[in-house]
Amino acid sequence: MKITFIFLFSFLSSFPLILSAQQRITISGTVKDGATGETLIGATVKLQNATQNIGLATNAYGFYSITTAAGEYNLTVSYSGYQISTQKISLSKALTINVALSSASTLQEVQISAGDLKNENVKNPQMGLNKINMKDLDNVPVLLGEKDVLKAIQFLPGVKSGGEGNTGFFVRGGAADQNLILLDEATVYNSAHLLGFFSTFNADAIKDVSLYKGGMPAQYGGRLSSVLDVKMQDGNDKKFGVEGGIGLIASRIKAEGPLVQNKSSFMISARRTYIDLLLKAFGDSALKKNTLNFYDINAKVNYKFDDKNTLYLSGYFGQDNIGIKDLFANDWGNTTATMRFNHIFNNRLFSNTSLIYNRYSYAVELIDEQSNAKVKSLIRDLNFKQDFQYFSSNHLLRFGLQGTHHQITPSDITASGNSSINPLSIEKRYGVEFGAYVSDEWKLSEKFNLLIGLRLSQFSLLGPGKINTYNPAAEVISSKTYSSGEFVKNYFNLEPRFSASYTLNDKNSIKASYNRNTQNIHILSNSGTSAPTDQYVMSSNNIKPEIGDQIALGYFKNTEDNGYEFSAEVYYKWLQNQIDYKDGADLTANAEVESLLLYGKGRAYGVELYGKKTKGRLTGWISYTLSKTERQFDGINQGTYFPARQDRTHDLSLVAMYNLSKRWSVSANYIFNTGNAVTYPAGKYNVGGLTTYYYTDRNANRMPNTSRLDIGATLKAKETRRFQSSWTFSIYNVLNTKNPYAIRFRDKENDPSRTEAVQTSLFGIIPSVTYNFKF
Amino acid sequence: MTMLKQIKYIAILFTGSIAWSSCEKVIDVKLDNAESQLVIEGTITDQPGQQLIKISKSVPYTENNTYPPVSGAVVLVTDDNGHSWTFSETTPGFYTFPALKGETGRTYTLKATVNNVVYTASSSMPAPVAIDFLDVKVFNFGGDDQKQAQVHYKDPAGIANQYRFVMKVNGIQSKQVYAENDRLSDGNDVPSVLFFTGNNDDQDQLRTGDVVDIEMQCIDKNVFLYWYTLSQQSSNGPSGGTTPGNPPSNINNKALGYFSVHTVSKKQLTVQ
Repeated sequence: MKITFIFLFSFLSSFPLILSAQQRITISGTVKDGATGETLIGATVKLQNATQNIGLATNAYGFYSITTAAGEYNLTVSYSGYQISTQKISLSKALTINVALSSASTLQEVQISAGDLKNENVKNPQMGLNKINMKDLDNVPVLLGEKDVLKAIQFLPGVKSGGEGNTGFFVRGGAADQNLILLDEATVYNSAHLLGFFSTFNADAIKDVSLYKGGMPAQYGGRLSSVLDVKMQDGNDKKFGVEGGIGLIASRIKAEGPLVQNKSSFMISARRTYIDLLLKAFGDSALKKNTLNFYDINAKVNYKFDDKNTLYLSGYFGQDNIGIKDLFANDWGNTTATMRFNHIFNNRLFSNTSLIYNRYSYAVELIDEQSNAKVKSLIRDLNFKQDFQYFSSNHLLRFGLQGTHHQITPSDITASGNSSINPLSIEKRYGVEFGAYVSDEWKLSEKFNLLIGLRLSQFSLLGPGKINTYNPAAEVISSKTYSSGEFVKNYFNLEPRFSASYTLNDKNSIKASYNRNTQNIHILSNSGTSAPTDQYVMSSNNIKPEIGDQIALGYFKNTEDNGYEFSAEVYYKWLQNQIDYKDGADLTANAEVESLLLYGKGRAYGVELYGKKTKGRLTGWISYTLSKTERQFDGINQGTYFPARQDRTHDLSLVAMYNLSKRWSVSANYIFNTGNAVTYPAGKYNVGGLTTYYYTDRNANRMPNTSRLDIGATLKAKETRRFQSSWTFSIYNVLNTKNPYAIRFRDKENDPSRTEAVQTSLFGIIPSVTYNFKF
Repeated sequence: MTMLKQIKYIAILFTGSIAWSSCEKVIDVKLDNAESQLVIEGTITDQPGQQLIKISKSVPYTENNTYPPVSGAVVLVTDDNGHSWTFSETTPGFYTFPALKGETGRTYTLKATVNNVVYTASSSMPAPVAIDFLDVKVFNFGGDDQKQAQVHYKDPAGIANQYRFVMKVNGIQSKQVYAENDRLSDGNDVPSVLFFTGNNDDQDQLRTGDVVDIEMQCIDKNVFLYWYTLSQQSSNGPSGGTTPGNPPSNINNKALGYFSVHTVSKKQLTVQ
């Protein structure tokens, strides 16, 4: 611990020395969309002259800062889908230049063509990163026409879908709970709506989506597999606007505009499904008494005090309601609130301070005189984050602190009247997580870029509470009652993060990365993907932090001025302290849940190929993953490695979009993957009067392969200056492929002396239409 | 427990009703065929009369549902009070003792010697809890009423109780495994719905005129774990639900099956 701080201190204190050695001049500013005032994240800023060629990407708030020698330069700013801005500058004293880019109309084939301007994907040392272009989402056909960030990322290499129509996902062999999902920095614990068929991210309100599959930068911590960093739009600070969409099962509306011209803007977006209302209107009697809906609201305001100080407030609230009148009700939802304050200390030092609240709660209620009960559970976090970015000529330093207080209410059962169920309250659990990190994106030479970082993660389980320690036989070996705030158990972990890129030439590079991640919040789930009944537990005296190490190697290539991008990555991952549970474990409302767990290891490896066409009338991408994912637990499968459920050998996705004319565009996507690893019976016998199956090796069998073709078309209505509208048509599973959702075994109906396997398929061919408007 | 089971079933039935385009088909699957395993199914009840221990072998999945009996075993049951009973093979694979009544609180040990391998298991007789009465519970998901049988019993307070139910509809045993405990309902009057899903999981209610026979068993913790594990595997969640495995048996030496010492209470109901 002490050594770590000394190390951190000496690391940090050495920076000013590096910096002061060079007397240079700094140009800084913010890059925005000229029409809406939205800051542009990751825009490329280049400063060039005969001898110098310096470039970097804008940060999460559109800020850039370049320090170099005095002189005459061309300042070029580019961003995908926007026209390039070039201006001559004379750098003799510190300059602040804010750049506004105008959107390139889709059919103008302008895009980017200024020599080596781009090639960002080749030169950036970051690897294992995929970005979703929000404009592409408009065209990709999806189930029931609801465009969805989480479904779009499932088309990327290394990302496997949680199941048909499901927004759950697995990254490079990780489990569904090993993804850190952030919405404006707030953790979203359950990203699923309606049993997982829709995600909590309303695409209208989203500005930027980045998925880190490996080489996670040091400012991210807390999950093993991936970081999905979703950022909301800030709202148009120039003029007021409304846009929305009316779909078959959901409608959405967004309003945005300036509160104080060029100083303050707001954005509010809301969405609600109405499957239940619709079915009632059509007289579907089976749903007449039932509730089945979700809604969510995203809102954000910002206030720019001056060029150096900006305040952002953003929030999300979403709720799902499923109910059967007089019988059963189930609702769950996330709430997040983020307050952020950007302060530019000087043109090189950028600071952001965040205060974040997030909460996920779930309740299920039986409404019945004899057996009524309500079970509530929730997880709530309070976060503080302080992040600094220091821009110097060859370094981009990032360092900061993060603190989180967790509170978990595992289960509160209430019951009334003569209910057969007894009230029960499982003790709340408290924990604090602390993170300190430092990283340096270091341009060693024209060809060699490094991103090195170190993160210190600390977790403490706190009292109050009665804490049991269990032996492997599930017996209590010790029990102690802790008072409020008392430390029950502390864990420290050092997480090195390292990425490097070596540019072979402008168009080719190789990259390598290593990262260690740790995780202290674990989900216990009986289903393979996220479900509202998932149980959250923290690291404790029984549960050790999960640890993941990953190495990856990649080759990146661009051709035709970035018209084609190609990447190949290989990875190998080791996972420690993985969690599974014993046979017959009853996880719900169980104070002894930690006695039901098994601990093991995991390993995952694979190759990911990704090719993208970014220009012309035909755009899209193809991704292919060849991978293996295994787990090993004492007591399962005789202690040998077995395939994890989500181990799918082959995984292929194809997304294509084609502009037919000014008004029509068409799109298609196709997926193919090997079936999930499952356990089929190897024999059978009879006990208790029933055919019972005998199993040998865990997950040694395969479900049938899955494949699906979806098609879509978008028609833009005649545009007026004030009003734009479009129709989106899509057909999900156009070939009506019967993909496996579940397989079970049963006695044959007409010949009970035989058994048969029955496959359930979920969605056949589903057409949908959505009307979108904007004014 | 009752509640959780009920929630699970309601959720399954409900999702079934909204997954409007879901469909089922019989498929061919490639299966590994395992070697035959020894299966012991032994019960001692609190009802005076003949007690039965069955010994058979498992068969490969692709074979008929006829299980070869295992003959020539030596089967002995003892209790913790110095008694012992030697079971004799009356028909191949069926080992019986003509007159034996399990006593509450006693622990019985089964010792079966098959081909020089000794298999042992112990189980204790819980205090009896009887069925109070049976009735029909009507569910309404918005469409037609759906009828299900409901067992009422009074759970004794202050002790852990585990139950298993066997339901026959018109003489045919329901394919569901019904196991519950009193973890969340200790000491209460418990109504427990035994969801009937038909002989082939394709029907989800009882019909007027159906004759329902229900046997309630009070079982010990290990036997409960066996049945509860099996009952979880019959669920059918996303991508297959709980990973199936062999339920933890109270018999040693990797024999399949169980040795259950339990009470029996029976009642009959005709669905109106």
